[in-house]
Amino acid sequence: MTLNETPIRTSRNFLINNIKLENIEIPEQVEEFKNVHIEGIDKISKNITNSKLVYGNGDILEQNIKEMANNKIAINLQSNKDILMTYNFDDDNLNLINQIEVEANSNINTNIIIEYKSTTTKKCFHNGIIKVVAKENSNVNIVVVNLLNEKSTNFEAMENIIYDNANLQYKIIDIGGKESISNYYSNLIGENSKNDLKTIYLGGKNQIKDINYIVELRGEKSFVDIDVQGALKANAKKNFKGTINFKKGCKKAKGNENEFCMLLSDKAKSIALPMLLCTEDDVEGNHGTASGRVDNKQLFYIMSRGLSYNEAVKLIVRANFNKILEKIKNEKLMNEIINEIDNKLN
Amino acid sequence: MDKLLEIKDLYVKAGEKEILKGLNLTIKPGEIHVIMGPNGAGKSTTANVIFNSSEYTKTQGTIEFEDENINNLSTDKIAKKGIFMSFQTPEEIPGISTMNFLKYAKNKIENKPVKIFEFKEQVKKYMEELNMNPKLIDRDLNVGFSGGEKKKNEILQMLILNPKLVILDETDSGLDVDSIKTVSKGIDMYKNEQNAVLIITHNTKILHNLNVDYVHILVDGKIVKTGTQELAEEIEEIGYSQYK
Amino acid sequence: MSKTDIDDVNRNIYDFKNEDNYDFKMQKGLNEEIVKEISKQKNEPKWMLEIRLKALETYNKLELPTWGPDLSELKMEEIATYVKPKSKLNSTWEEVPEDIKNTFDKLGIPEAEKTSLAGVGAQYDSEVVYHSIKEDLIKQGVIYTDMETAVREYPEIVKEHFMKCVPINDHKFVALHAAVWSGGSYVYIPEGVKLEIPLQSYFRLNSPESGQFEHTLIIVEKNAKLHFIEGCSAPKYNKVNLHAGCVELYVKDNSYLRYSTIENWSKNMMNLNTKKAIVGKNAQIDWVTGSFGSKVSMLYPMSILNGEGAKTEYTGITFAGEGQDLDTGFKVIHNAENTSSVVNSKSISKNGGACTYRSLVRISENAKNSKCSVSCESLMLDDISKSDTIPVNDIRTDEVEFSHEAKIGKISDKEIFYLMSRGLSEEDAKAMIVRGFAAPISKELPVEYAVEMNNLINLELEGSIG
Repeated sequence: MTLNETPIRTSRNFLINNIKLENIEIPEQVEEFKNVHIEGIDKISKNITNSKLVYGNGDILEQNIKEMANNKIAINLQSNKDILMTYNFDDDNLNLINQIEVEANSNINTNIIIEYKSTTTKKCFHNGIIKVVAKENSNVNIVVVNLLNEKSTNFEAMENIIYDNANLQYKIIDIGGKESISNYYSNLIGENSKNDLKTIYLGGKNQIKDINYIVELRGEKSFVDIDVQGALKANAKKNFKGTINFKKGCKKAKGNENEFCMLLSDKAKSIALPMLLCTEDDVEGNHGTASGRVDNKQLFYIMSRGLSYNEAVKLIVRANFNKILEKIKNEKLMNEIINEIDNKLN
Repeated sequence: MDKLLEIKDLYVKAGEKEILKGLNLTIKPGEIHVIMGPNGAGKSTTANVIFNSSEYTKTQGTIEFEDENINNLSTDKIAKKGIFMSFQTPEEIPGISTMNFLKYAKNKIENKPVKIFEFKEQVKKYMEELNMNPKLIDRDLNVGFSGGEKKKNEILQMLILNPKLVILDETDSGLDVDSIKTVSKGIDMYKNEQNAVLIITHNTKILHNLNVDYVHILVDGKIVKTGTQELAEEIEEIGYSQYK
Repeated sequence: MSKTDIDDVNRNIYDFKNEDNYDFKMQKGLNEEIVKEISKQKNEPKWMLEIRLKALETYNKLELPTWGPDLSELKMEEIATYVKPKSKLNSTWEEVPEDIKNTFDKLGIPEAEKTSLAGVGAQYDSEVVYHSIKEDLIKQGVIYTDMETAVREYPEIVKEHFMKCVPINDHKFVALHAAVWSGGSYVYIPEGVKLEIPLQSYFRLNSPESGQFEHTLIIVEKNAKLHFIEGCSAPKYNKVNLHAGCVELYVKDNSYLRYSTIENWSKNMMNLNTKKAIVGKNAQIDWVTGSFGSKVSMLYPMSILNGEGAKTEYTGITFAGEGQDLDTGFKVIHNAENTSSVVNSKSISKNGGACTYRSLVRISENAKNSKCSVSCESLMLDDISKSDTIPVNDIRTDEVEFSHEAKIGKISDKEIFYLMSRGLSEEDAKAMIVRGFAAPISKELPVEYAVEMNNLINLELEGSIG
């Protein structure tokens, strides 16, 4: 299966235009996914638009969702709401194929947390789409958390449209799964539209992370800031593809993209392709990526205070993640995430 | 000619925000003026708007220099008329050495080639007076200069270009006592009966070494009081609160 | 404030053309007969013909790249792959036919040879017409000649190195190159010999609807040092010309090679060039590249750091104007411990021109303690142009220091305002800033080329500053 194509190709030898996965079993029959806990919505609508994704993870997976989704949630927000959705994979609910659509109307403020976790040790399969429409002057905070077990497969395609003066803040915590493949596309169509995307990923064992973020700036003075912080242990492998595309007409737009990968093992592999595409002159674009080990001076300092090497590394990785984590305004969830991070780092 | 600069009833916006709301100011040859005021009063705006910065729009009023309306002149033409501004944060321009830039700007202002040897001597002399590291002259314009070095470089440019009116926009801010003295010395070297100085500042240290003729208090886009050096001392004592 | 007005590259000095006056011009197109005919014209040994035929086979099998600029205007059936000028290889300019000599005179080559070069090679269409090197270098064992002579006189060395650094199946245009290559330079610097002044080869394509496929093979032995400069240009025609050269560099232990290129092809040129260097222990290759010409460029010099402590630096500037799609960049493979690379790339897009910075940094599993830092900056001078940055960073081990930074934007209004407040007109201010933007690169170029580059950007600041 070839997945997660970048918007512009580069040389095939660079091994990043897409990701090829073998031995992925897409379940052929799924029953309704029942173990979903939802807070903050009175009446759940299943009226999904089913509009075609602009990018997405690939046709096979998109088709799979359209034909077989076993959980659909459509939310049209007319008032300010805090919403929590927890998908708990257990022995009876191993396969989730879902669609979530959120439309935040003008001037709406909302916080939405979407969590995927497993209480089973069996292999889980998740293939999902999350669509967000942020109308004029709305403030939308989305947190997507992947804490699936280490045998699982996780696919997620996220797509956003952001209108005038709307502000979409997105946080992606990507820790679980054997393979975790995510595609994120934002269309900043509105004047003064904003998108802030913060991601934490942590890979261990033979985990594979393929992260493909595409942001198109179309509105005047639109602004995007992408900050991706990651750490890779053991034989983990990560591809990060981040594209900021300054489209014609996005005068005075700004785009920043920053990716930092801490390599915690000499077998870990990190590939990054931070793209800036530009057809407009009055814009400001910056990107940076960096990879490397934990800073030796920091390690030395912390160890001089009595911590072991492993504890010190853990502390530094945690500290690095904290600036994103502390923005998640749900203590229970934050503790779950921190526990999971600690487990992984042990 | 009895007036160098005359600003009449000036209203200025930055984007949608009105910053200057009816500013009046007249500067004659031989005078030193000071504009003081709290943060956000419009002090730096005044300096930048005289140079027709594209960040600001004049909605009403006029700026005249030597009886000529300069409202719509381009920035370089205004410089050629004989006005100089020392920037609050001088830009770094990589790829051109300070010396070559000085030469180039002098050529442009005077519209004739400088005599290289004399020019270099003059630059050297001024740099000594301003206590500047001689190596700075070969470095790219302001690139990697410390805050103090940048400000001294502004004063050096002022001395070299020898304008009729100098506007010092917060030239003293962030400087230590010795550097402030050096800047004052630069102003002293420049000043004569034919030219004039407008100092924009929010503290009074720089004024101790200078003979100031007028002190204006700018609050919320207007001059609310004009006085002499004593007014500055009063501000130093009790601040601006009484004018708010 | 009006749009930036930086003049296009001034091409007048490159655009003069001579009559298409040749000794032999191959029929257009590409097939086995044509390849055999080229080999026959050159009176080559059989082994070289075999390489050519195998390459042709590979060419026919390989696909066009699925990425990068549009190459649809390139039609091999309309390109003459071999044009033999009416001149043999000469060692004095007097012997070079008048019209060809005049061409190189205008380009300033004989003059530069007298003042600042240790040796010069000059290629006109498919063959090298002039080669010369200072006597004392010959005595030290330095070889600087055309590739054809090298095939004849040093077959063993050529066999060992030719298309070994760049494998024939690397991509379609490498295979094409190997099938129809002609001309180019061979340089051999013996162990311990350090050249303090550069060698320069100049490639001129005069013939319309033709291609240039020169091969440059440079071997710098242990503890040796060389600065090699290549220049290229062509007059403009209405139909597409093709340049698919190949550069193979062997930089042995503890040696140093600096490879400077000023590429100024006309705007009907498809420039699909391949350059690669294999770098030994504690050796260093520095690339300095200025790309101004051609309609389409795909050019990514590559350093393979095979020896422990090997180093490379890439310094490049690309300036794309109307109708140009210049896809340039750099590739580096860190294959040994303590290797390091530094990349500094700048691009300027104006008048509808498109610049792409495309790159690969790969730090392999065994490249412990390696370092790499990349910086690229792109300047957009108007809103009809295009600028893309497509860097791949592939890090496969933890003991590395890797950082990558890129910026894109226009000239800062604040900088323009500052300079205008000192009496510069808006145009002067912008020109000064653009020149400053390019300065870190032009500083790395040989003096004549730095001057040429500034002429090229035509900043008209000559004399008054500089």
